Amino acid sequence: MKRRFRLSIGERGIKKDVAQEIEFHIDMRTRELIDAGADPADARAQAIATFGDVPRFSEACEGETRKRVHRAAWKERLDTVFQDVRYAIRTLGRSPGYTVTALVTLALGIGANSAMFSVVDGVLLRQPPYANASRLTVVAHPVPSLQIADLAFSPIEVSEFRAGTPAFDQLAEYHSMAFDLLGHGDPRRVQTGVVSADFFNVLGVKPYLGRTFAPGEDAMGAAPVLVLGYDFWVNQLGADSSIVGKSFTMNDRQHLVIGVLPPLPAYPNSNDVWMPISSCPFRSSPQVRNSRTARMVSLIGRLGPGHTFQEAQRELATVESRGHVEHPDDYKGVKDASILASPVRIAMKSDADSAFMILLGIAALVLLIACANVAHLTLARQLRREREFAIRGALGAARGRIVRQLVTESILLSLAGSVIALGLAWASVGALARVAAKFTPRANEIVLDWRVVVFTLGIAVLTGVVFGVVPALGDRSDLATRLREGGHATSSASKVRMRSLLVMVEVALAFVVLVGAGLMIRTFEGLLRTDVGYDPEHVVTAHLDLNFTKYNTSALDRQFDDALLARLRLQPGVVTAALASEFPASSSSPQNLTAFDIVGRPAPDSAHEPKAELSIVTPAYFATVGTRILAGREFTEADRDSAGRVTIISQSAAHRFFGNQNPVGQQITVPGAKNLELTIVGVSGDVRQFGPAADVSEQLYLPFQRFTVRDARLLVRSNAPTGATSNLIKDAVHALDQNQPVIDFRTLSAARDDAMGPWRLTTILLALFAAVALAIAAAGLGGIVAYTVGQRTEEFGIRLALGAEPSAVRWLILSDGLRLVIIGLGIGLAAAVASLGLMSRLLVGVRSTDPMTYGAVAAVFVSVALLACLVPARRATSIDPASVLKGA
Amino acid sequence: MAGSDLFVGTLDILILKSVSLGPQHGYGIGRWIRQTTNEVLQVQEGALYPALHRLQRKGLVDEEWGVSETGREAKYYRITPLGRRQLRAEASRWREHAEAVSLALAAAQP
Repeated sequence: MKRRFRLSIGERGIKKDVAQEIEFHIDMRTRELIDAGADPADARAQAIATFGDVPRFSEACEGETRKRVHRAAWKERLDTVFQDVRYAIRTLGRSPGYTVTALVTLALGIGANSAMFSVVDGVLLRQPPYANASRLTVVAHPVPSLQIADLAFSPIEVSEFRAGTPAFDQLAEYHSMAFDLLGHGDPRRVQTGVVSADFFNVLGVKPYLGRTFAPGEDAMGAAPVLVLGYDFWVNQLGADSSIVGKSFTMNDRQHLVIGVLPPLPAYPNSNDVWMPISSCPFRSSPQVRNSRTARMVSLIGRLGPGHTFQEAQRELATVESRGHVEHPDDYKGVKDASILASPVRIAMKSDADSAFMILLGIAALVLLIACANVAHLTLARQLRREREFAIRGALGAARGRIVRQLVTESILLSLAGSVIALGLAWASVGALARVAAKFTPRANEIVLDWRVVVFTLGIAVLTGVVFGVVPALGDRSDLATRLREGGHATSSASKVRMRSLLVMVEVALAFVVLVGAGLMIRTFEGLLRTDVGYDPEHVVTAHLDLNFTKYNTSALDRQFDDALLARLRLQPGVVTAALASEFPASSSSPQNLTAFDIVGRPAPDSAHEPKAELSIVTPAYFATVGTRILAGREFTEADRDSAGRVTIISQSAAHRFFGNQNPVGQQITVPGAKNLELTIVGVSGDVRQFGPAADVSEQLYLPFQRFTVRDARLLVRSNAPTGATSNLIKDAVHALDQNQPVIDFRTLSAARDDAMGPWRLTTILLALFAAVALAIAAAGLGGIVAYTVGQRTEEFGIRLALGAEPSAVRWLILSDGLRLVIIGLGIGLAAAVASLGLMSRLLVGVRSTDPMTYGAVAAVFVSVALLACLVPARRATSIDPASVLKGA
Repeated sequence: MAGSDLFVGTLDILILKSVSLGPQHGYGIGRWIRQTTNEVLQVQEGALYPALHRLQRKGLVDEEWGVSETGREAKYYRITPLGRRQLRAEASRWREHAEAVSLALAAAQP
């Protein structure tokens, strides 16, 4: 029986086969009928009638066959892929050196991108985890002249905004304060979000347990209730699921726990617990409720359907300007207060976001370098495999099939690399999130989830296609020629050119990455060396927020403060101790920028009003932080009584506002201090109050004893170790009041280091990326030089045999390698100058075109290149000319 | 010839049985069914073909083209190992079914 082979069969084939089969049946039937004695004239008609509806049955047969053929075709395609994959695994396994190098290179390149993408995706790309995120609008009250980003709003203003903004469905208010929480364990100081009852509804947050605030629970006189934050509930209360319905004591009142929140961004602040405004003694006090200037709350609104941010901005601005017109007295000193409504995703951006974007960009460059290097390794491998391809070609493998095989190998490699990369990213993402938590509210959204996996696999496939196809591009020679050339692998000139090009690309890209890292290192090193104007070593700071229900008069406050400082100064090891409203690097932006007038001078317009950052400090503050008094004196105990209308200004403020005049003895008036006239008694050294990266700030200091600060920072300079000093502070506070919390122990140097956090992280990651880039580029360069030396062994042998100096041959090799490096560096230089301007925002004290950095990086490259070329060069000159010539 | 009075699935078993005896073309299968069932089971001849193609799609029979007894090229069907297993399973199920129905019909008491 003869067989017909059909690997694939088209639509026409299907129809033909079915027709033929049915035709055969009808013929056979006709013949049978005739044999049985039927009239040949109508036997065929009879046969067709017995068969039935021919078109219907044909169609049914064709349908079945079509399904079968399609499935077979898919199966064949899959089989081919599996076959390619199996073959790829076998061939890759045969060259473990290539496979491992490519895998490591790809894993590092892809892993860097996965990790950085998870960060950027978490803090920038995805919507915040609020159900109404796309409609949430954060309303700020900026005062440009005082560099205040948000002055906040008073409750009276809030009610006016609610009435005048139809664009909003709801407009919720928010502020955050610390309170003492008693019950269920030790007394705790808890950061408390204080909100209108509709706040969680506006955000679209559903409770994790229990419920959130109900309408009316924020009305004055409502029973106090609490909603717990997720982290607080887990970390402080052991995730006790029976907590709903229990009570805590806060501010001498029972607060009923009604619910627990899900994990949320630390936005607008990180809060432990939440209460309605009616439960907050400050917010519900008549002074706050009835004053237009009691600006203490922020606003966040949800746009109604069909309304836009622009509409909201317009409506808010209208209400604001009406306030300025109707109540000019309430805008004294903040005449240029305005309104800024922004989508919540924008409002949640942090200063570090641009650093993350730059890191992702640099990671992409590292991947490109990895890609170029693997492409170049792949080319080298293909040169060695030319014979294999030629034989397969001669045996009938189509050129397309061979290219597909190569691309299968490269995609397989990059997918395997991406699995390792995901492992690397998974291992590092926790640490990245922890570090990022110091400067972005959305750090808990930095996770390795399906979005990161999809991104990773996507770039892996792209990478595989790029480094699989690029090597095939330069190849136009036909197989037969190559086979005829026989013997050893023949170096098609185009492939060698392509390899050189790839190495130049690697060098150029690596140069950009290294210069980026260099600029960052210079910035960071500059920050470390910056004279901050104080001595951060050996000073421990703590947060002392006196319980205001107990210390409810300034006299009681003062009594406690005096007793505490006196007690601390007597402790062994303690050099000095002080209290202050803030300390250097305790915040990264002005907190109390204050306008003042100089007595005896005409009042300037508000834009030119003297302004300085106000700190309230006790005597010995300057001695404690280690800032010198340059003229006049420090505050003394005598400054506490009414005679003590004194102030100290910093050198830069003195210089700016008094020029060459001696500021000591001059008088100023500060509007906040009830228009008291203050005499300048001293000039202090300049301090970088907002961290080493910020400029020196103009400072104004007032004596703590006259201007009480309940929420104060305690500073102790001590010779004892940090831990001992912290315990000593705790003991001293508790000796005076068992129930007074003192928290947030931090050394002054840690505060300075934290202020450099984004720079530290960026520097470390960029240095890491740069090391990877340099290693890959050096390996690539060494690889190509070694290959060319291998190719030219005969030539060198002949040269040496003819009496060439080994040093001349060595130079020949070095100059070949150096030529690639120098062209690469030239391209890199242009690319770096063109692109690294994007980094300017991160750079402090160094320009993005800093010649020092460029020079140093170029020098590093040339030395690494020399090293990479020297090894093969030495091998070349140690060739025994005789053996080469015999072999040739 | 009117439509089939076969129970559902019966045609498939008959086809499988027929080709289990050796490769056969569609016409031969139809003839075998007619003859072996004493022409009791009447299959509309055309209905055989969609069934054959369906069985082929399911991998129970395979095709091979050969030359018929009249010297013409024809499509032959051959049972596959999968088809043989299916035939065994269906046949025993059929017997059980038939026995059960016979028992019920033979019952004397209501």
